[in-house]
Amino acid sequence: MIEYLLILYNKMKSLKNIQYLFLALSILTISCSTDDDSSENLSGENNLTMEFDNSVNGDDLILNTTAYTNSNGERITINRFNYIVSNFVLIDSEGNEFTYPKDESYFVISEEAGLNEVQLTNIPAGEYVALRFGVGVDQEKYLQGAEGQGDFLQTAESTNMLWSWLTGYKFLNFEGSFTTAANIEAQDFKIHMGSHGSSLDNYKEFTVDLPTKALVSSNLSPIVHFKVDANQILDGQNKILLSEKSVVMIDEVKSPQIATNAAAMFSVDHIHNGENHDH
Amino acid sequence: MNILPILALQNIKNIEMKKFIYIQLIFAFSLSTFASEENTNSLYFDSNPFYKYTYEDCDFCGCGSSGGGMGYGTVGNENFIGLRYIYQSYKSRDGIFNNSPWVDENFNTLQLWGKIPVTKKLSLTAIVPYHFHNREFINNTTQRIDGLGDISILAFYSVITPVPDGLFENQQSKYKHSLELGGGIKIPTGDYNRSNNAGSVNPSFQVGTGSYDYVAALNYSVGYKNWGLGFMTNYTFKTENKDEYHFGDQFTYGVNLSKVYNTVKIDKIIPFIGLAGEVFNENESYGLPVADTQGSVIFTRIGTELSLGKLSTGVNFMLPLTQNLNSGNVEANYRLGLHLNYTL
Repeated sequence: MIEYLLILYNKMKSLKNIQYLFLALSILTISCSTDDDSSENLSGENNLTMEFDNSVNGDDLILNTTAYTNSNGERITINRFNYIVSNFVLIDSEGNEFTYPKDESYFVISEEAGLNEVQLTNIPAGEYVALRFGVGVDQEKYLQGAEGQGDFLQTAESTNMLWSWLTGYKFLNFEGSFTTAANIEAQDFKIHMGSHGSSLDNYKEFTVDLPTKALVSSNLSPIVHFKVDANQILDGQNKILLSEKSVVMIDEVKSPQIATNAAAMFSVDHIHNGENHDH
Repeated sequence: MNILPILALQNIKNIEMKKFIYIQLIFAFSLSTFASEENTNSLYFDSNPFYKYTYEDCDFCGCGSSGGGMGYGTVGNENFIGLRYIYQSYKSRDGIFNNSPWVDENFNTLQLWGKIPVTKKLSLTAIVPYHFHNREFINNTTQRIDGLGDISILAFYSVITPVPDGLFENQQSKYKHSLELGGGIKIPTGDYNRSNNAGSVNPSFQVGTGSYDYVAALNYSVGYKNWGLGFMTNYTFKTENKDEYHFGDQFTYGVNLSKVYNTVKIDKIIPFIGLAGEVFNENESYGLPVADTQGSVIFTRIGTELSLGKLSTGVNFMLPLTQNLNSGNVEANYRLGLHLNYTL
């Protein structure tokens, strides 16, 4: 580059022509607009980490502290926010799907226990554009019986995500207190949503698009940063009034509505592409 | 009169202190105006009042080869070598939520800079920065990075050179103007650390971009009597670094109004006010756009220069007028620059 400038200077000296300066500038411009397209061939396999960042209505969720008023006119303080995410499927830019091994595809996210991260291992290289997964445990898994659950049964029990084996898993355990304009005395609420054995199936799957591609290769291990909005549970597509019913467990009307709402809690805020060894 | 101790400036966090500095600068400005009134028509009268911006390298995003958008200008003394200190105060959001905490970021840069003549029309400009940045997280841990930054070398060609005034009246002109075009390169001599780009906080917390970046610059100034109006603009084409991170291109522009006063004790006092703007393109990581990395900011600027014999010194303060950096996740608080130059 310095040589360019010296050559340029000599030319200018002899010709006194500033056109050379423009020439030099265009050389600089051309030399820096090299290949931007980094769609190099990705190969090998690596981890894909998902971070579930819990929030309420755009604010960070802080248990027992954050109080907010939802559009139902109820002021809510959240004391517990646990849920099960499962059956992950990664979809690449060409529409190919990679299904994560089913037996390893069940995770509890718990704000109180500090469980916010899920690591999927041995993901084949690719440019992933979307993730499909579910909230809760599907009937197929449940019908494998207690032995078929592996370690997950223990995890669910220790994180308050199990009623009893016969009743089944709580897919969502959302608790706290609330006040209304009519009743300013704080009252507890409990939203425990699940499938209740095999009689009522509330397991729901959905697809979440990624804002940028998540790149996986032998040296690229992305982090998918989810923004999870707890406000959706009561104040989503279906409006669930706590003043109508403050403890919702086995409810043929409200539980499926809550399941639908919960499926809409998830969006991806951003992706960290890179090696991400030290995350 | 207006050179504040550097140490005191390092960690100015509260607004009171900022106000103090601003008042100090206004004071210096008015004092210099006052001090010169009686001497403006003496034989020290200098009719070359250009306040020149040879190269204004701002650089907040991509960490600054020189830092601060403080202007690369000295008055009259075309060629110099000097030392400049730049302090930039930012805050950036640590997290993705509306109530996520803000992190205070202090960007300090000490740089060796100079403009060396090659011929009458051509000069070389070089900036060698040393950065020492820090930021304090909400859990009271402090992250520090320091080290040599990215060195810039630019060549400037004078397209229009103002004719010096002669002794006789017909050899003097009221209006003068100058135009310089330049181009150069920023070399990745500073360390780039990809992990500093991984979080939700300011991706520009680096001492180097890790990339070879190319600069095109244009400076135009016009002078009338002892007033000067300077326009400068430059565009930095940034390239992808070896870690496959690509800082967005950067466009910088500024305008300054200055006036030269000559006194008996101090050769020249040149207060100035102006605006300085910066526009940043989106960064890319592995060829994919990184959300919330573009933005722009416009600063108001006030400062003054003093020259005494071969030495000149200046102070320069910038407050944002309007800004939208990183989708509001980064906010520039203010910038301060001090320099001491020796005329070659």
